[in-house]
Amino acid sequence: MPTDYPYAQIIRRARKGREAIYPYKGDESRFSVFGANVSDKVRKFYTLEDLMITAPQFTPHRLEKSFDLISREPFFRDVDTSVKIGGFNTKLPIVQASMGSPEDWNIVADLSAKACAQLGLIYGIGENVAATWGYDERVNKKQPCLMDRILEYFENRVDGYGGILIQQNEEDAQNELWNKIYSDIRLKDYFDEGLIAFEIKGGQGAKSGIGGEKIVDRETALRLQDNGYIIHPDPSDENIDVKLYERHSSPDIFTEEILKNRILKLRNDYPRAKIWLKTGPYRDLTKVIRVATDAGIDAITIDGKEGGTGMSPTVALQNLGLPTLACLRSVKKIREEGIETSIILSGRFFDGAQVVKALALGVNAVAMGRPFLIAANAYPFSDIFLMFNLYKFGWMKKIGRIVFPPSQRNINYITNFVETIKLEMQLLISSLGKYSLDLLGSEDLMALKKDLADSFELKFIFDDNEASLTNESIKIST
Amino acid sequence: MAVVNEKSSNFDFLSSLTSDIGQIIADPAMQRVYEAYDKVSQSMRSYLSGQEGFLEFKPPLIGPVTDPGTRGAKQTEIEFYGKNYKFMSSGILYKQLLAINRQKAGYPGRIYFFADNLRMEPLETANTDRHLAEFIQVDLEIVDADHFDAMEVAEGLVRNVYKDMSKHEELLKPIWSKFEDAWGPRGLTPRTEIKVPSKQFKKYEFEEAVAILQSHIDENPIVISEIEERFKIKVNKLRPDMELPWEYEWLLSSMHEEPFFIHDYPRGARGFYDREYEDKKGYLMDFDLLFPHGYGEAISGAAREYDHRKVIPRMKESGESLGKYKWYLDFLHKHGKPTAGFGIGLERTVRYFCALPSIMMALPYPKVPGVFNP
Repeated sequence: MPTDYPYAQIIRRARKGREAIYPYKGDESRFSVFGANVSDKVRKFYTLEDLMITAPQFTPHRLEKSFDLISREPFFRDVDTSVKIGGFNTKLPIVQASMGSPEDWNIVADLSAKACAQLGLIYGIGENVAATWGYDERVNKKQPCLMDRILEYFENRVDGYGGILIQQNEEDAQNELWNKIYSDIRLKDYFDEGLIAFEIKGGQGAKSGIGGEKIVDRETALRLQDNGYIIHPDPSDENIDVKLYERHSSPDIFTEEILKNRILKLRNDYPRAKIWLKTGPYRDLTKVIRVATDAGIDAITIDGKEGGTGMSPTVALQNLGLPTLACLRSVKKIREEGIETSIILSGRFFDGAQVVKALALGVNAVAMGRPFLIAANAYPFSDIFLMFNLYKFGWMKKIGRIVFPPSQRNINYITNFVETIKLEMQLLISSLGKYSLDLLGSEDLMALKKDLADSFELKFIFDDNEASLTNESIKIST
Repeated sequence: MAVVNEKSSNFDFLSSLTSDIGQIIADPAMQRVYEAYDKVSQSMRSYLSGQEGFLEFKPPLIGPVTDPGTRGAKQTEIEFYGKNYKFMSSGILYKQLLAINRQKAGYPGRIYFFADNLRMEPLETANTDRHLAEFIQVDLEIVDADHFDAMEVAEGLVRNVYKDMSKHEELLKPIWSKFEDAWGPRGLTPRTEIKVPSKQFKKYEFEEAVAILQSHIDENPIVISEIEERFKIKVNKLRPDMELPWEYEWLLSSMHEEPFFIHDYPRGARGFYDREYEDKKGYLMDFDLLFPHGYGEAISGAAREYDHRKVIPRMKESGESLGKYKWYLDFLHKHGKPTAGFGIGLERTVRYFCALPSIMMALPYPKVPGVFNP
């Protein structure tokens, strides 16, 4: 009997209990790092797809550019994509988002470090890497430790470009990761050159205000419990017979005062480090940006709700937080107030058009996490999906994995991926008759939806758009 | 020929430290330094246990948690029957525990430690001439007191050391003449005698201290590049909402003839245990005492935050996880009451009276950040 009543959902909850609230269950959770559904097939909100980049016929900047080039006409390769963000120079407004310890990422994370270094990109390191894979000695021979990532980056860095972001979570704090890094003699020169930032973690896109969730085995569960994590069920209770445990970590506690003073204290404690903040899709985002700016933050990364979806409860994916595009609305407000703090936006960015749109609306760069993970693993018959399907359809009882030995190939995949973004950006920006990122502005976009146009003060694409051309010519002549 | 038998600069000392530490210890002038160390210790003990009625306790060496309020310095872990313990970076949490409970038992709530502290100081402190990774702090706590009460004890203690050491000028003079060539390059005022401070120590509010420095710099802008050259560092701008960087402390110290206090530091600058003023938000009831003549900070102290509702947000400002401080928060919740206290660096005090170019010379086997020696 067909029904629109969510019969199946209730049955699933009744049978599976707690397991039913996550999009992946048990062992499958390792696949969540490859991307979970954000909206569960029901598209609830606008995305950057609802904006169009609109090129003009009249392009005075292109004329200007030709004066510089003297003997030839400008083309898309002439677009300069380099920019300064949060005290770092980068060749592209793309940051490799801080990603932590999941094994499928960690095994290629040092290769991504090398790729980012060679590409002149800022490279982020998420939580728990040292605690899981070792600080400077590998816990597991095949898995790079934290210092492998850091040194791989610095040894391959293009002079004058890049920088590293390092986060610290509760377990890292217990081990005083930042203090350790700050006093590590191998990193002294890099601190002196201002190439390292400590990134406060104030949130994650898909689970704003919830804190990190992870599925772990009993041994890990016991260790984490010792370090103050809340584990369900209680791994120290020997009467409970389960193989896997839920690790819940605190979303941390902030008030305006706490955030302000935490930033001041970090600047005070680590004068040679830059201080970044990663925040989430919160309704008080503008206030967060103001408070952090007043305290002297170097840069703020905002993770829109489409970001950080790994191991997020389905209910959060569907119902919680500001979509990436709504975060951009907050950025617009902040820019109108004259706040110029470097802002980086993340949350389902994977092509050049999205980056150009975000830049036109006021962010300084875009952070991408999962695209680097997937690109790095872009083998023929990409093994992780093969394994997932074998597992999901019951052809294989336990998840194994054919491990391709990490190699130059992974680096090439990432480099290729980043190169496509750069090319797309150059194509689109040059189409606007512009050749540097700082010239991008809201005049370069139109909205496909009327309400979106109103909200962002953009032209609705089906309106009479004569006025916008007039605006633009005024802007350029001043 | 032992380098240290000559007039000795900082740099020579460092190379002897790693090549032949015995040469340093066998140097007669250095033996006088070690004797002065003993004299300073005795002076402090007799003052605290005698005149002031403090009880000395053996400090803890390790514990589940230690003082996190040490600017960028890393703690040291030790495995304790499968649990992760820390070597004390200071015994501050235990001082409150002892003083409050001693008073509960009907005795005066005044206690002190000669506490070994271990701090993996950031590498930039290797240039300051006043940071060691391993050092002794004479650390005291007083129940029902505020920071002004603690400053009074601090002044009495330091004045007493001045008095006692002024009787030992003959012991100190050969040390002074050994190191006098290094004073200029390290920005220290020449020493010919120990003059017991005549007046009450000056007290500056933090903002006042910043203003004095700022106007001094405005009048003599060259002073910044001189500091940069002298200490081979990059000097950052003064900020009224942040801790005074040590090079500014040096500058202020070198402008003074007698010890002085700076109090009421801004909130972002200190650990979670320094109490915030009720009626002056953003400022802490805390203080430093600085030696004059370019020697800089000797003491840090404060009235303590003791209400767990105030301590918790302060811990979060330091990015601390609350579970880590379980015993301490439980203790404050049940027994918290006002205390104040301070710690005075023993080696820093010895350095000052011996007029040593660097604190590393105050100990026979100093642990200098980033230097590897016995």
